[in-house]
Amino acid sequence: MAEETLLVGRGLTKRYGGVTALEGVDFELRAGEILGLVGPNGAGKTTLVDLISGAQAATTGELVLRGSKLTGPASRRARAGLARTFQYPQLALELSVRDNLLLGWAARRHASLWQMIVGAAAGALRPRVPADQAAVRTLAEELGIEGLDRAAGDLTLGEQRLVEVGRALGQDPLVLLLDEPFAGSDARGVTGIAEVIHTVQRRGHAVILVDHNVDLVARLVDRVMLLDRGRVVFDGDPRECLASPQMQSVYFGSDADTDTDSGAGSPETQAEVEDVRS
Amino acid sequence: MTDLQLWLSAMEMGCFFGMLALAYHLIYVGAGFFNFAIGPYAMMGGLCTSWLVITYDLGVWPAAAIGVAATIALAAATELGVVRPVQKRGGGELPALVAVAAVLFAIQQFAGYLFGYPTLPGQSLASFAPVPVGDITVQPSSLLLIVVAVLTFVATAAWIRFSRTGRLLRAVGDSNQAAALLGLPVNRIRLIAFVVAGFVAALAGLLFAPKAGVNSLSGLHWSLSGFLAVVVGGTGSVWAPLLGGMLLGLVEVFLPYYFGGQSHVYGMLLIALLFFAFKPQGLFVRKVRA
Amino acid sequence: MTTTISRPTVSSDRWDPRRIPGGGGLALGVAVAALILVWVGSDGYRQTLVISAATYALIALGMYVPYLMAGSLSMAYSAYAGIGGYAVGLISARTGLPLVVAWIAGPIVAALVAVVLGMVTRRLSGFFLAAVTLLFGMAFTAFLIDAESVSGGSGGLGNLRPLNLLGWTPSHYHVVVGSAVVVCVIAFLLDRLRLSPWGVVVRTMRDAPRAVEAAGVRVPVLNIVALALGAMIAAVGGGLFTYAAGSITPDTFTLNIVFLAIFMPLIGGAGTPWGAVAGAVIAVELTLNFPAVQTSGTLLLAVGVLVIMLVAPKGVVGYADKLRTRLWALLRKERDRG
Repeated sequence: MAEETLLVGRGLTKRYGGVTALEGVDFELRAGEILGLVGPNGAGKTTLVDLISGAQAATTGELVLRGSKLTGPASRRARAGLARTFQYPQLALELSVRDNLLLGWAARRHASLWQMIVGAAAGALRPRVPADQAAVRTLAEELGIEGLDRAAGDLTLGEQRLVEVGRALGQDPLVLLLDEPFAGSDARGVTGIAEVIHTVQRRGHAVILVDHNVDLVARLVDRVMLLDRGRVVFDGDPRECLASPQMQSVYFGSDADTDTDSGAGSPETQAEVEDVRS
Repeated sequence: MTDLQLWLSAMEMGCFFGMLALAYHLIYVGAGFFNFAIGPYAMMGGLCTSWLVITYDLGVWPAAAIGVAATIALAAATELGVVRPVQKRGGGELPALVAVAAVLFAIQQFAGYLFGYPTLPGQSLASFAPVPVGDITVQPSSLLLIVVAVLTFVATAAWIRFSRTGRLLRAVGDSNQAAALLGLPVNRIRLIAFVVAGFVAALAGLLFAPKAGVNSLSGLHWSLSGFLAVVVGGTGSVWAPLLGGMLLGLVEVFLPYYFGGQSHVYGMLLIALLFFAFKPQGLFVRKVRA
Repeated sequence: MTTTISRPTVSSDRWDPRRIPGGGGLALGVAVAALILVWVGSDGYRQTLVISAATYALIALGMYVPYLMAGSLSMAYSAYAGIGGYAVGLISARTGLPLVVAWIAGPIVAALVAVVLGMVTRRLSGFFLAAVTLLFGMAFTAFLIDAESVSGGSGGLGNLRPLNLLGWTPSHYHVVVGSAVVVCVIAFLLDRLRLSPWGVVVRTMRDAPRAVEAAGVRVPVLNIVALALGAMIAAVGGGLFTYAAGSITPDTFTLNIVFLAIFMPLIGGAGTPWGAVAGAVIAVELTLNFPAVQTSGTLLLAVGVLVIMLVAPKGVVGYADKLRTRLWALLRKERDRG
């Protein structure tokens, strides 16, 4: 699948005072690709997602999205085509699931200062745009989200994650960054999220999937990048990664027993993922 | 007015603001938020005392004791009756902010209802003769304010450093949750912080009242001054509030002297903007432990 | 897994007047306003009460947008109302321009001031924002007193011209009715705005600003737009009051009003802008028109706010809504049984 290069990162580095969270990370993401980002806690996965999405500024390094430099605050990068979810779901807990899902569309129409001003006037005159409502309903159906009138705060963690992923999909991103989307998900949530990943792939766009559960990620992705203490120690085929010496040393130390299971994740969850893949 | 008198005046203001800031500081350390009702506490201490003396011909000392006790009760009630239940409900700092705003407003109205709205003269606890210093004489109430302020800071510093409760206060302040997990008596420590803060604020109001009198609405301005002092000073050490208070005292006294009228209000706004924008952590920052 | 998720064609929602967004609130609001206007009649004092309530309501509605939708408590609203008031005063006393211009210029100036203040304080939130904006309100009052040549100093501006709309001069009663109408219209529009995509983005900003930023909206900019909108509404209220009172001084809009405006939505209910209106009516009733408690009305209000905050966090409107839901459920059960 030699396709167009979508997103390139070069020499991404993040330091907090004397602590280096990420050191010279290079990567390339092609259209239609699903890249898994794995590594133990504190390896720098979320930091990398933050640097790409613009939630944090990189100390050095650059990002190029479809040939043009990706800079500035998160909002500008979102408009350029990035969407993300968060390790701890960021939903408006008092708002309904419907309104949380709507954010993707709503935000797109309030990007510039002028749009924000006009949007306020338009909103007061015409609060419910039928096209938006229909789009949200379709999205919810695709993801298997029910009870759109529930407050987001009443959802389980897994349901919240699913809503957040749906919201990100509503932005129709070129690159979708998912930060540990499966943590706390039940089988249905996993199916829904896997569905989203494939939808993005079918559109010819790309996904970066972060998880510390390597087995689970390996089943979903085309390529995997293994991070350890802020550096990329492996970049390539998921199956090769699982068997690689780097993998062994990162997760179990150099002299560990190689038979140990390499990640958590319930058997049912993994079976579910197998289903989705087939 | 001579220069010396201005400096003395600034020092009095500074000591007063410093004590208010210390009260803020204690609650901030113990409970992690800024209690905007500090100003009304001080007003309560001053106004209640004056009212008792004027209306019931009570002696200054018993009146002051009642005033301070009433303020401490208010502070404890703020924590037990309002802040704790509201914070327990969660939702970030906005609910707590609105809650203390309501407390501030309620205390003002309560004081106005109880003690009346006119300004009452402050009652001086000191009865010795004015002390000549250079070409001016220092009023006993001024001297008392400055001495008590310094003593209060010394005592608080010693309390936090040497007593078990004081050390617990710092431990609880670092992280309420972590402290609770460790089994520290978080709720009791928080309550103690409120009580001590109430005491300090009441003392400050009581001692400052002779300077310009006190009325039920004095509290809001005092709240803002104290808050500004604690922000300027920073929460890095017990002494930082005093420094912040002194700086504000200078602004409050010298700006109107040189630029007239209301210039100190503009000065305060300017300081607030500068500090909040560029140095929100204040002049003295406690090093974050990694 | 065969369908693609794309924006589908519009499905037609059946038109149903009961489902006009914000319609229910409007119906109730207009009904109550009409009752109040009937109660007022030609009683001069009651008319003043309505003007006061409308002014409080507009200031509270102005604060509703940044405070309860976007979650940032700016307390400079006494200044914004003051700007609206002084616009009326200045245009009436110092220019020959038609007075209507004041209601355009005032809100615009207030919005501009809010934008500047919002930009300076864009990194502040919570206690810090509250303190700076309170100080700004104080400094604004000080400025009004100092700038005697412009604002008339502490004496303010008086003897204002009556409004002249194409030759028609409204009577005092017309102004009273007009203020009620303005409040209802603005509350209705804000209620709709709350439900709109704009409202969704702004309300998400309160709990999850990172999500809004990650969705492509610059949070500080939208926050400033919300502040400006609020300032405009408060300025309308200030202009209205000044016109009805015929004069304005630096003490017309005090910090007390700002505190009351924070509490009004809590009393009435933070869920909808109508809660702020209900809160304003209750506040005026308690502080100005309750002979038995007149002096202690504000105290009663303050205590009431504390109690409501602790016992019924959703306020009067929220409580009524809960009652209504229960009543419906009960009626439905009866019907099913019958």
